[in-house]
Amino acid sequence: MLDSLARLGRWGLGMFERLGRGHLFLLSMLGGLHVLVMRPRLVIREVYAVGVLSLLIIVVSGGFVGMVLGLQGYNTLVGFGAEQSLGTVVSLSLLRELGPVVTALLFAGRAGSALTAEIGLMKSTEQLSGMEMMAVDPMRRVVAPRFLAGFFSMPLLAIIFSAVGVMGGYFVGVGLLGVDAGAFWSQMQDSVDFNEDVMNGVIKSLVFGFVVTWIALFEGYDATPTSEGVSRATTRTVVHSSLAVLGLDFILTGLMFNKF
Amino acid sequence: MIEVRDLHFARGSRKIFDGLDLDIHAGRVTAIMGPSGTGKTTLLKLIGGQLRPQHGSIRVDGQDVHRLGRGDLYRLRRRMGMLFQSGALLTDLSVFDNVAFPLREHTRLPERMIRDLVLMKLEAVGLRGARDLMPAELSGGMARRVALARAIALDPMMIMYDEPFTGLDPITMGTIVTLIKRLNDAIRLTSIVVSHDVRETLSIADDVYLIADGKVVERGTPEALAKTASDWANQFLQGLPDGPVPFHYPAADYREDLMNGGRDAR
Repeated sequence: MLDSLARLGRWGLGMFERLGRGHLFLLSMLGGLHVLVMRPRLVIREVYAVGVLSLLIIVVSGGFVGMVLGLQGYNTLVGFGAEQSLGTVVSLSLLRELGPVVTALLFAGRAGSALTAEIGLMKSTEQLSGMEMMAVDPMRRVVAPRFLAGFFSMPLLAIIFSAVGVMGGYFVGVGLLGVDAGAFWSQMQDSVDFNEDVMNGVIKSLVFGFVVTWIALFEGYDATPTSEGVSRATTRTVVHSSLAVLGLDFILTGLMFNKF
Repeated sequence: MIEVRDLHFARGSRKIFDGLDLDIHAGRVTAIMGPSGTGKTTLLKLIGGQLRPQHGSIRVDGQDVHRLGRGDLYRLRRRMGMLFQSGALLTDLSVFDNVAFPLREHTRLPERMIRDLVLMKLEAVGLRGARDLMPAELSGGMARRVALARAIALDPMMIMYDEPFTGLDPITMGTIVTLIKRLNDAIRLTSIVVSHDVRETLSIADDVYLIADGKVVERGTPEALAKTASDWANQFLQGLPDGPVPFHYPAADYREDLMNGGRDAR
């Protein structure tokens, strides 16, 4: 009994210690954000690595998710004779939820894990230590540009995901199932509000971009500098950021659309 | 140049330094030697301000490293070079860009001048022809030479070598030994060589410190140490398997352990 209590206490202390380290890391990272103004090239290079190289998976997934939404939406709506509203269902589902959330989950798996592995390996091969000894702050030179790249890339990827998804829904609904093209677009135009739907989706993806990139970079920086440590850190990045995205999505949806 | 006074450092409950004192003089090659796990690399990290001691002070060129603010510490580090055991080259940059890295980060020199400087540093380590290779294409010895070129890119006042001879073939080892000595003499560097490779280190060192159990156990020139009567120094310098540093890890009595018949179920 006492042993269990002691273990629980150790676990709790360890968790709070990590949480504290994570927040100190965030503060230190935010202190290096002037890199965007001082050396925008560093940020642009990282936008290519985390954003542009994630495009393929985002476009393909967006297309398939849109097509599945088209199929499922049609099957449900046709029962009520409301298949003309397919454009509304597809676009609102993508803009409000699936676009930001699925993009963030894919981003955590594709770019987040790569960031953790890269930083973790830089740590284990003493590259970060070497930079410090060359009087170059790795938080400013390595971490901050990657953070900014993740933060800016996520909303752009989410918008691309939603746009491709709408095209996928259109292809299935109009091209294969015979929904009227005019009704598809006009109903969508009529029911989608720029601030309520598009901007809220963008805000969600900005928050997800912030959190996923923060977790990925922290896990890499805090990784035990061994191959096993980096492997564990990479797994933790995917698990923790996926859970954080889903939890935050619930809170943000509540605040944005239900006003509780 | 460097004064270490009453240095105490521990990791958790394990004491690494327990009142270490040493002096490193300008323009000389000082070797810090001792068995694995005695904290030689830790000492370099303490001198570079990457770790903080629990007690004691380290002064480099008159400045107390651990009392400096971040800006001052980084300014001091620009005048220190460090050669890591692994080389610590940036794997996404070519050999040329690795050597140019500190110049591009800390100076506003035009690219043409940076090119000339990098080629001069690479020429000094014999790798001008390897400028376009990536770190993954280099052998261990070449990586260490590139790292050495990078360490001297900003013309530092001192350079710290962390196990520079480990894992090298005899030819490469000879090259590194010569390079360290030649650089030290040619540009009046202060060199600190942390190593447990006795022969190579003693061949270039002006002063030697032997450390064990968190303290300096012997100090002097290589010639003086060769004549020392200390058992510990003799064991270390001659590579004897048993002596003051025992061959056996502390354990229960051998006979009793065997007669025990596995009763402790291990």
